[in-house]
Amino acid sequence: MPNSSSTTNNGRPSPEHEEHGHESHAHTRAHADILPAVSVRNLSVSFDRQKVVSDVSFEVPQGDILALLGPNGSGKTTLLRAMLGLIPYTGEVRIFGKHLHAVRELIAYVPQRFDFDRNFPITVREFMDLARHRHSPPGRVAVRLQDVGLAPEIQSARLGSLSGGQLQRVLIAQALINNPLVLFLDEPAANIDITGEATLTGLLEQLRDKTDVTIVMVSHDIAMVSGLVDKVLCLNGQMMCFGPPETALTEKSIKEIFGDRKRLFSHGHQH
Amino acid sequence: MDTNTNMAAFFLEMFSYPFMQRAFVSGALLAVLLAALGVFVTVRKMAFFGDGIAHSSLAGIAVAMLAGLAPLPVALVWALFVALLIWRLERSTRLPSDTLIGVFFTASMALGVVLMSFSRGYQPELLSYLFGSILTIQSGDLLVTAALSLVIMGWLFLSFRSLTYMSLAEDSAAVAGTDVRSQTAALYVALALATVRGVKILGIILVSALIILPTAAGRMLAYSFRSYVIGSLFLSELMILSGLTVSYRFDLPSGATIVLVGAAIFFLAAAWKTMDGAFSVRAVGRQPR
Repeated sequence: MPNSSSTTNNGRPSPEHEEHGHESHAHTRAHADILPAVSVRNLSVSFDRQKVVSDVSFEVPQGDILALLGPNGSGKTTLLRAMLGLIPYTGEVRIFGKHLHAVRELIAYVPQRFDFDRNFPITVREFMDLARHRHSPPGRVAVRLQDVGLAPEIQSARLGSLSGGQLQRVLIAQALINNPLVLFLDEPAANIDITGEATLTGLLEQLRDKTDVTIVMVSHDIAMVSGLVDKVLCLNGQMMCFGPPETALTEKSIKEIFGDRKRLFSHGHQH
Repeated sequence: MDTNTNMAAFFLEMFSYPFMQRAFVSGALLAVLLAALGVFVTVRKMAFFGDGIAHSSLAGIAVAMLAGLAPLPVALVWALFVALLIWRLERSTRLPSDTLIGVFFTASMALGVVLMSFSRGYQPELLSYLFGSILTIQSGDLLVTAALSLVIMGWLFLSFRSLTYMSLAEDSAAVAGTDVRSQTAALYVALALATVRGVKILGIILVSALIILPTAAGRMLAYSFRSYVIGSLFLSELMILSGLTVSYRFDLPSGATIVLVGAAIFFLAAAWKTMDGAFSVRAVGRQPR
């Protein structure tokens, strides 16, 4: 698992325990107690002079999971991409108090869509290796695949031969390969079936419970995230709610964002 | 024994000509260079790029001929200009690269034809640029090609992983710290430089075959990315060196012969892939339930 409190699936300390403490991570951890993992101030994004994300501010403490919730077209993915510096924005984004460029090694990203030619000749191992830092041991590929519930033998399979669920897990394993401290996931359950979704939820729970990795994930599925995340940020162009799901996801706020239909999926919360 | 002696005599005679020596060395260098760059062209689905750049260079050649300058350096500068303009417009207009390549391909070619109409009389040099001529490769050309190969291959060696990562998953590579913008520009520049160098051997019309054919054949035979890259480089060398030999043996145009050999390699690979697929389907069909 991706940090100093690393454990294997069996709960034993990972053999690569010592390598997690390389200089930049150690330095950042020294500040982790006082600085939020992610800090966003007055972030706005405009396309063709029209604001699609307006004046969003929030903080995520280290080890928390934050879900960006909202209907299609609410600006969730746009906000996430702006936070990652993939699109222009105004405002300020800080990771452990630093500008994104200074902490590239500490973050990882799993995009919503990974469109690639399924006939392209590349193995899972080769694909994973593309993201692996040179100072990371090659054996970590197998470890990360096991972490996401895939057998090490899958390394020699062609990437294009994987099912949607397996591919999604490989993408997450690849994102975890350098032990990031902040993981950004864009609709991680979008391309997988119900079984795959359960595995994904289990994996995120494991990351939450056994590591102090901070996760920022985009989702439109209240049912999936409400029992999983520490905080939700409801978005509909602008920030509609922010806080723990129990308090932020009120009947009123859900109705404001999704309309009446979403009540059907808001399983069991006291609103 | 006689066959061996005859073959040795044939190769000794072929390599006794300095122009053939230069053609082989230049060809071997360009084979590696264009196939290595071709791998990324294929990943990024920009097979049209080499063709576009090569045809665009006609305008540069025409300008040089009218001005009495050396055509290839001017064509090189022109190709660089076009490559960087495509890169810039890709970002600002959000049009797909193939659309922009098509625009520059046709516009630049048309400009070349119009400019050529101002020059009087028969232009034998123009034909050598259109169809390639190994006789025109001079020692200076060889040195330039060697220097260029060294620089581009060095850059490819250092950037191979980030280039592959960004070609497959651009956003993830950018988040991981790859400077996607500069690396893309560098790839376009390298492709433009290598393509124009290849014009001497294969000509404007056929040079893109060196980018497309070996990588297309290599891809059908490969299982992993490593075998794809190595296979493409090997097939590229096979294509250009055997093409040059056949063209010398039967006194055929070198560029066209190289392309035909490459096409033969491609069809053999396609046949193998088809048969392999058919056998796999039968084998699966025979498995007990």
